[in-house]
Amino acid sequence: MDRTGALDKTLREIYAVISFPEGGEPNWEGMKTVFHPRARFTRITPEGIDYFDLESFQAMAMEMLDRGVYTSFYEEETARRTHVFGSLAHVLSAYRTKRSPDASTSLANGVNSIQLLWENDSWLVLSLLWDEALPGDPPDLHQLFAAEVSCGESA
Amino acid sequence: MAKVHKFRVSSTRSNQMVCRSMAAAEAKGTMMRTAGRYLGRWVELGDRMLRNFGTCAYLAFDRRPELRNAVITATEEYGAQFSISRVYLECALYRELECNLERIAGRPTLVAPATTLAHMAALPVIVHDEDAVIIDQFAHASLHSATDLLRDVPVHLVRHSRIDQIDHLIQSLSPRHENIWLVVDGLYSMFGDFAPFQELAGLLDRWPQLHLYIDDAHATGWLGTHGRGGALTHFGHHKRVVVALSLNKAFGAAGGALALPDAELKTRIRRCGGPMLFSSPIQPPMLGAAVASSKLHLSDQHAATQAELLHRIDFTIAAAERARLPLATQHRTPIFFIPCDSVDQATDEAQRLLSEGFYVCPSAFPAVPVNRPGVRFTITLHNELEDIAALVEAAMAGIQRRGCSVPVALAAWNYGALAPDALE
Repeated sequence: MDRTGALDKTLREIYAVISFPEGGEPNWEGMKTVFHPRARFTRITPEGIDYFDLESFQAMAMEMLDRGVYTSFYEEETARRTHVFGSLAHVLSAYRTKRSPDASTSLANGVNSIQLLWENDSWLVLSLLWDEALPGDPPDLHQLFAAEVSCGESA
Repeated sequence: MAKVHKFRVSSTRSNQMVCRSMAAAEAKGTMMRTAGRYLGRWVELGDRMLRNFGTCAYLAFDRRPELRNAVITATEEYGAQFSISRVYLECALYRELECNLERIAGRPTLVAPATTLAHMAALPVIVHDEDAVIIDQFAHASLHSATDLLRDVPVHLVRHSRIDQIDHLIQSLSPRHENIWLVVDGLYSMFGDFAPFQELAGLLDRWPQLHLYIDDAHATGWLGTHGRGGALTHFGHHKRVVVALSLNKAFGAAGGALALPDAELKTRIRRCGGPMLFSSPIQPPMLGAAVASSKLHLSDQHAATQAELLHRIDFTIAAAERARLPLATQHRTPIFFIPCDSVDQATDEAQRLLSEGFYVCPSAFPAVPVNRPGVRFTITLHNELEDIAALVEAAMAGIQRRGCSVPVALAAWNYGALAPDALE
């Protein structure tokens, strides 16, 4: 598989491993194959910003499951823009979370900013940074992807 | 020690999140509303009278003349307030109420100013430093608050009604703890599902260290002999079970009560359960109402009153089945929950039903998990069958319009079969 195909596969796997059906939990073993051991997770919320590594991300997620904040989770990608140079990739990935894959509307919408590293013949996520749109105000993908700010000689 | 956390969210931040969620609902006009006239079947909102599917007055005792007259009589005899701590002096109506409640519950009973305060009085007294606590994640918020008071005791959360997880946890805790308290609701207030009583009985048999603390607020009055609820129907004679009852909701009055396995424990909680000493007592008018309600519960007519409610519950379940209206659970209870795919959908659905003349409650986090928003409605003796049929039809019309996915996902939501035979 070429690097472009491998990148697409990794991105699909990200959404697959964090999603889980009623009564389940994220695929923690799968996460270890998608995320780099030094991966960082950064969650932006109106109340504050959280920084996690794999272990503390798992602890946070399990606490939310134990407290019944979530009993299932399904997130899917709705649009993507990718930049690749050498062994690095940056992906702006718009997402929506739903109650289940069949749900007619989304619970939430947001954007994942993902940095990946090509290592040992696969793309591994080095950083996942996400922010969620406020209820009733989903991200405008056309505006989001059109609004690139460039500078320098080739701008 | 309190709750065993894998990750801690600060109280301030947690409050900010809840406040944001509530503000959004308030802005949409579905929460924090003020009612006008209240006639039981009808409640006034704005300038409209709506069919009332939001109250927990399951037996419609809140409008019974016996209770209203008792309020007047008690006010005339004892005043609007009897403002002395019960630790010094209690209003005479307490004794009559507890006497009647002991006949209802079939065991020693202690009245508290509210069910929440009953938990806060009882749990720190009955749970000792050497013990451990397991609490269902969907147990009522008041139970979570009360277990937060157990400073030196580990409190473990378990997934909702997962007997396998509870059993596993008891196994791991049993070598290190003298007693293990399992804290659950008898009837869960949002999705309307019963605790798995038969499986809990199995756990009590299997683990001699296990004790149950059951909040049966939503099953008090309308279920069981004299309205003792589902928990006492199953565990009334069990020495290792404490049950909290509500004197609000179906009871139609005010306060809460603890149904205890022996008189010694009643005395101990009465003497040193914090809110029993330091909280205001129930006001005489509402004590009068509670006494009147207790007499109705003990009367020969009470079983027929309960049967009337069960008829309405069965009518609702049958109407929902005919209409293919999806419900979160199908237990034989007066609490119904229509799952929605998003908070917006739940709010819109509740708004639409309001506009069509039905008062129902949109439900979202933190009342239910983030991924389980929906519309909750309750059935009471205030509701006429024609009101129920109209609500089911209106709710289903909304689902057909919006193309909800819920029927596909229902199997995963349903917590079990219909209510156990013993409760029917």
